[in-house]
Amino acid sequence: MLSMKSVGVALVCFGILQLHPTNSNAEDQVELLNGTRLSGQMIGIRKDDREFDFESSFGGKLVKQTYAYDKIHAVTFGGKRFVITPMTESAPMAAPMANAEATTHHTTQRTKAEVLQFIEDFGSTEPDWLASTQMNHPETLDLEWPLKTEGKWDESTNVGQYIWGRVSPNEARWKPGIKLVYECMKRHQQNRTLLVRDMEKLGDMYFTLLQDYPRAAYWLQKADASVSKETGIFLAECYWRLGNKELAFAKLQGNLLHFNAIKLYGDMDEIEMAMNVANVYAKTPLFNEACLKAGDALRGAGRLDEAITFYEQVLDRNEARNKEYLTRYKGLAQGAIDAIKLFDKADVSRVADGTYTSSTMGYNGQVEVTVKVAGSQIKNVTVSKHQEKQFYAALTDTPKQILDKQGFQDVDGTSGATITSQAIINSTARALAQGAK
Amino acid sequence: MQPIRYRVLAIAFAVTGITCVVAAATQHEIYRWIFHDQFALALTIAGMMLAYSMMLWLTTFDRGRTGAVTRLDWFFPALKRRSVHESPSYSLAGRWLRSIIPASFQSNHATKKRGLFRKTLRSLGISWLASPVRRVVQGTCLAIFLTLFLIVCWPYNASPVGPGNASLGWSFETLDQQSGEFILGRAPSATSTGSGWSLTTGDTLFVVEERIVQGTQDAETSATIGDFMVVKSDARQIRLAPRQDITPALLDSFLDQAGSFSLHECDPAGWPRHYADNLARKEIIPAETFLMIDPLVSLSTAIASRSWIGSLVSAAAILIVCVLIPRGFCGYLCPLGTTIDLFDWAIAGRIKTFRVPDDGWWVHIKYYLLAGTLVAAVCGVLVSGFFSAIPVITRAMLFLVEPLQNGATRGWHLNPSFGVGHIVSIAMFFAVLCLGFFRPRFWCKYVCPSGAMFSLGNLFRITERKVESSCIHCNKCVEICPFDAIKPDFTTRTTDCTMCQSCGGVCPTHAIKFVERWNIVELKLENDPPTKETALGRRGFLSLAAGGTATVVGGLSMAGATKALGAKLDDPNSYRPVRPPGSVPEKEFLEMCIRCGECFKVCPNNVLQPEGFQQGLEGLWTPMVQADWAGCESSCNSCGQVCPTGAIRPLALEEKRVARMGLAIVNESTCLPFAAAQACDLCVKECDAAGYHAIEFTQVGTEVDANGIPIEGTGYLAPFVLEDQCVGCGLCQTRCYAINVKEERLLFESAIIVKAGEGREDRLMVGSYIELRNQKRTQRPLMQEQVAPVPSPTRTVEPQASTDDDPFGLGN
Repeated sequence: MLSMKSVGVALVCFGILQLHPTNSNAEDQVELLNGTRLSGQMIGIRKDDREFDFESSFGGKLVKQTYAYDKIHAVTFGGKRFVITPMTESAPMAAPMANAEATTHHTTQRTKAEVLQFIEDFGSTEPDWLASTQMNHPETLDLEWPLKTEGKWDESTNVGQYIWGRVSPNEARWKPGIKLVYECMKRHQQNRTLLVRDMEKLGDMYFTLLQDYPRAAYWLQKADASVSKETGIFLAECYWRLGNKELAFAKLQGNLLHFNAIKLYGDMDEIEMAMNVANVYAKTPLFNEACLKAGDALRGAGRLDEAITFYEQVLDRNEARNKEYLTRYKGLAQGAIDAIKLFDKADVSRVADGTYTSSTMGYNGQVEVTVKVAGSQIKNVTVSKHQEKQFYAALTDTPKQILDKQGFQDVDGTSGATITSQAIINSTARALAQGAK
Repeated sequence: MQPIRYRVLAIAFAVTGITCVVAAATQHEIYRWIFHDQFALALTIAGMMLAYSMMLWLTTFDRGRTGAVTRLDWFFPALKRRSVHESPSYSLAGRWLRSIIPASFQSNHATKKRGLFRKTLRSLGISWLASPVRRVVQGTCLAIFLTLFLIVCWPYNASPVGPGNASLGWSFETLDQQSGEFILGRAPSATSTGSGWSLTTGDTLFVVEERIVQGTQDAETSATIGDFMVVKSDARQIRLAPRQDITPALLDSFLDQAGSFSLHECDPAGWPRHYADNLARKEIIPAETFLMIDPLVSLSTAIASRSWIGSLVSAAAILIVCVLIPRGFCGYLCPLGTTIDLFDWAIAGRIKTFRVPDDGWWVHIKYYLLAGTLVAAVCGVLVSGFFSAIPVITRAMLFLVEPLQNGATRGWHLNPSFGVGHIVSIAMFFAVLCLGFFRPRFWCKYVCPSGAMFSLGNLFRITERKVESSCIHCNKCVEICPFDAIKPDFTTRTTDCTMCQSCGGVCPTHAIKFVERWNIVELKLENDPPTKETALGRRGFLSLAAGGTATVVGGLSMAGATKALGAKLDDPNSYRPVRPPGSVPEKEFLEMCIRCGECFKVCPNNVLQPEGFQQGLEGLWTPMVQADWAGCESSCNSCGQVCPTGAIRPLALEEKRVARMGLAIVNESTCLPFAAAQACDLCVKECDAAGYHAIEFTQVGTEVDANGIPIEGTGYLAPFVLEDQCVGCGLCQTRCYAINVKEERLLFESAIIVKAGEGREDRLMVGSYIELRNQKRTQRPLMQEQVAPVPSPTRTVEPQASTDDDPFGLGN
């Protein structure tokens, strides 16, 4: 197939050369691994960097381009043909394949050895984007990054705090942030302790920010991440995600499991194991986290009533480190309970006839929606009260969509009016939930 | 008469006009030399030549009237008995009309029996009967003005376009070096979204790398490779020609990988542009046309700011037109004049209590107001917007009609509250209308400084009203004249006559004619009866001296007072409103903004609202961003497009999106996360949704353990504004205000506020905002260079194929 295509391309090129012999004074030719051939002029070769500059004309315009050896199959230069990277059937596809596999969940099963080999082969490589990523951290940052930080919180000096406070919450800084850790590692080659910390952070970032499991696993393994910390649980998850559950179980052996293990067990459909860990944590001061995660695990498994009991524990016990924590945990628990009830109950086929009204926050204030249900059908959706000023289109568009689709699950946000649109959807869901039989 | 001679003259004029047009169209040397590339001006002059040649030509066919070189009659003459053999119409056009209009519509001149046409007009009113053309033109112009204002400048029928069609699963096959075109192919199983998108030759589409996750943030990492034109396509293969130059980056996107591509009808990473497109689609003629042709607007602005104003050309054009039709602007075009006519007809004309005579100290106010305005402009203070005709009517429409339109169609809660500025403006407009209680069109005759410009322009008129000796002193013309332009001896006050031709229509003896200025055929005697007017007009020298002094003193003191109580731009602590995007620097802005209100009307959601007296008189009615009310839409650039004076530059949408009009500043003592009150991400989400990505998260109040390692779950994420990305659109402030202040009542004022001032805004007189941003980017030291190890100098080998066996260092 590939060779057929090459032949075809070659024929096309040949045809062009034949038709326009005047244009062929640029006698050099580049054959790329993906089968494309370009003719032009070799400008310069940098053997050490394994790349060369090549100038070719496109539609009469000259473009100078640098090509790396590993993208090039062969070059015809000065009449001689040099094969630079031998063409194999899989060569051009290798990198994207690996990428695709790494990010696909559950689909591939691998043996222990395969997973470890994959991590070793692929996880150790630097991502494509790393070289071209521009760093954008503040100049004031102390790249020595000591293990301990003295003094007040200072994102502009302390690398760890900078990653925490500025990199993690802002997607635009993720890749530059990862590059920053690589830079720090270069400086810490002589200091084993700092280097281990750097590698653990790098694995952590690959895992949490990019879900790049092979690379995360590679660095977490190198840092020997322990399951008593979050990062160890990440490593176990990497193993599972990459296709080997046993390796994950093996990693999760130990007396001190970080409570995130509850979530991982839940994700792996090992609900009983998750409950075991949760029950241990339920007796510790970390019971809030444990109950929330256990609830999430049960909810994911479709065991909604049990999930609600766990969430309710958070509400009932009503204690935490401080008030701020308490509000947050109770908010999370209440939100989860509401969501379960809503999605369960807001199915219009289970809503009694009647008119229901509910409101949620929109762009400029509460958006109140009135829904009329008769004979298990949504008869009418109207925005009965609102203060929206901007993004007006949603006020008519979204109710129409809800009516057409007889529900709110697949309604697209009106473009340019997402917030108002979402508010209408949420209000509709809440209104419908009021009438659940 | 010698019609041949004048026909030759007419042809000569026509030839000159056509030459003018051809020269302009072909960009000839002579055109550049004479008109300095002012295409509109060249066309106006050419149009004038052609119109004049037509008038000359037609005049040569006149029958039954005293001779004239140029005749400009379009009034509807009074019914006068004529014999059956005599044609009742003397002009060629009139005779032609009579030949095609059914006889029942026409009056019988032998029996003096009125036809249907005359009867209908009589029932409409005497001014309709006398000069119907004028009333029709007036009505049309008012309708155009209202359409431009109420429909073209109405932003709310714009709606964002959806994602458009897409076709997935294409892969790069090859490229054609000869034509610079790319060839993509795909498997037949691949999918498309959207209904029936057929890729036809000539279409523009966007190629997107599918491998890159959607939703990447900035242009540099966008998945969109570029826009292409379809050269050829079938189900399996498509040939695309890039719309932009081929760059190494573009080549890389295709050559670097074996990934797949999708073709999109609209750029998925593109910004919405529906407001800008909506205005552009509706603007068949500029929305600010009437403001552009108010000559006082452009002249005073040009003087005040000492700069070239684009609309000066249109002002010049209208003044040239008014050489042919003296002060025709006032009689025919001016929407304020027509509105005053309506008000006089409906209300003021029916109440005679306050009537004043047609002569008094007030008759020359307009000249003194004009001179005062220009004196102030010379001092750099622009006050013409207060008195100029079109700004007055535009503002009145804005403050009176726009709220009704907005409230009735969209909801009354969408009208911002009225400020002092509104009240003053509305009061002024009513004052203008109420002058009609003194005399009809009192404003236009005696006060309007724009009218004074045209009166002065009348000095160069080539046609005028003339009265022949058949005048019987019946006084009908004096009674109907709306502009007091007829002296007691029934001759013309040439500077006041607007050529409305009502007098011609009521004259029972057909003694009034509108002909070339130099015509002296059979004119009546002047000063009979005596007029008591001097060469300088009604009030003579005394009035001129007193008025002139008052003018200079008034203009200077007005300028002085405005400056003294003004914006105080030298004081760094003075009030600095956030101006619309693309506003010129503040000093020039105050000198150039005519305060017409056009930008308020066109602004979606009333982000722009008139300033009150925060900057004294100097800033009154100037546009300022009210971000508590609404934020500036990233898809809109309308304010600059409709600004008649260039105080807001007409930026392209791409430019507008990087034009910094202010900077959002977070109040760290009230902002909810900063104050550790509760989590809140309204402003960050808002900024991301708008596409600016100028507000990041930062972590505040994080607790750290003994090692300084942050503890999971402590503290809040708080907003952090990136100064070089923030353009000051105010969307963040709007949202914080709407939710945290108005709805939740957590704050007294928005915790993030857009502020203008030194360093917070970029206001360029000329030049590109995109370039400015790029400049700033390159000035900023690149982190990468500081951190990365210095790359070892690599040897670039000049390739010498013949001598080197291993030029690529492959080692085999």
